[in-house]
Amino acid sequence: MHSEKQKHSFEPKIIAFVCTWCTYAGADLAGTSRMQYPSNVRVLKFPCTGRIDPVFILKAFQQGADGVLVSGCHPGDCHYIAGNFHARRRFAAFRKLLEFVGVDLNRLQFSWVSAAEGGKWVEVVTDLTEKVRAMGPMAEFKQLALEEQWSGTIGTPELKEAYNAI
Amino acid sequence: MTQPIDTSIYIAITEAIRDEAKRLLLEGQVSAVIGYAGARRKGSAQPVIISQAEDAAKLIFSPASVNNLALYLTKAKKEIPKNGKIGIVVKGCDLKAIVGLMGESQLKREELYLIGVPCAGVLASTAQPSTGLTAETIAPKCTECNAHLPAGCDYVPNVQLPAPLQLEEKYIAEITRLEALTPVERWAYWKEQFAKCIKCYACRQVCPFCFCEQCLCDRNKPQMVESTPRPAGNTAWHIVRAMHLAGRCAGCAECERVCPMDIPLNLLNRKMAKELKELYAYEAGFEVNDKGPLSTFDEKDDQSFIK
Repeated sequence: MHSEKQKHSFEPKIIAFVCTWCTYAGADLAGTSRMQYPSNVRVLKFPCTGRIDPVFILKAFQQGADGVLVSGCHPGDCHYIAGNFHARRRFAAFRKLLEFVGVDLNRLQFSWVSAAEGGKWVEVVTDLTEKVRAMGPMAEFKQLALEEQWSGTIGTPELKEAYNAI
Repeated sequence: MTQPIDTSIYIAITEAIRDEAKRLLLEGQVSAVIGYAGARRKGSAQPVIISQAEDAAKLIFSPASVNNLALYLTKAKKEIPKNGKIGIVVKGCDLKAIVGLMGESQLKREELYLIGVPCAGVLASTAQPSTGLTAETIAPKCTECNAHLPAGCDYVPNVQLPAPLQLEEKYIAEITRLEALTPVERWAYWKEQFAKCIKCYACRQVCPFCFCEQCLCDRNKPQMVESTPRPAGNTAWHIVRAMHLAGRCAGCAECERVCPMDIPLNLLNRKMAKELKELYAYEAGFEVNDKGPLSTFDEKDDQSFIK
């Protein structure tokens, strides 16, 4: 039943923000249909894509995600009628902002996956995982999180002079 | 080579503002007038709120009248009593903020008396207040101004605005420059800029649109944005700030003016305004809309980026 698991030197962390009505059910279908997809994805369930604040994506990257997937119902299928339409505009703007700040947009994927599309879920997750795996770890935000207060360089001649004078 | 900008009409505007404020207060049409008054440094101006007719002589308008007075009308400034109508001196850029606030149900048009100012430009934050207005000392936002004459005000001084000079549009030039860089180079640029931030939140306090009673960035359960002035938290704060102002900011550039660390904050706002104009043909500040571009939708919106 289980195919041989391939060994990789880098296993990316993928965070998936999904809506409970479509994509979560779609992922569930993939599971109950015994479809195989990379276990790199961590699924977070939300009532609707409209609930997914861009700040969540930011937080995911800051906490060490290498890729982020946002997935919900197809346009017109929203359980709350228009949540995904609002989300579509918000994310269209947000990805432009991230791009301008210098984030590689290949790490951020949006998709519509319905409750019947278990196969599409597998495809989307596999594609993103392999894409991010090829790109390597998301270094930018991780380095930023390790950096301390700005202050420039500590070993400047002025500072050394002041230190020696004490 | 400094190209001087003609601000001789500001003397006539000052007179007109004084007369109008005096008339309004004497007739009791407004309970207070928000305007600019001379400050201690030579040539400088500061916001002032007057409620007595004899104080109308304090009002001025000069190239140092940089503040966006719309700030004093928002919920964030609860200490300003709202008894009856309020008169306010507005430049074209400030009027855009008021229009935006009216769309967001923060202000009512009938509670305001707008004294519009035909404006040839104001000084940049880096220029001394006593210097003359030239192509070098003008605020970057004024190089891209499309509202020299405020529209729809109750009173506008009858002066002839000199034809605006063709100046280099600084934000457009800078956005074009940054867009041409690779993501890695852009990240390096913004990392350096955001690293300067000391999290004083002056940009938030001065913004007419940051009127939330509790800012998302002040919450700690859950904490969405790190509150310490470390590079990670700074980057998150500036991204969140730009996102929350997308489709609302009309570019008064007060955030950039007050920033003690000279972070080009308005650059992010202008970039978002540009994108929203391209995506949804929306430009903030020209008409009262109760729905901004991000609080409405069209079924035919572009979704080429979604799988």
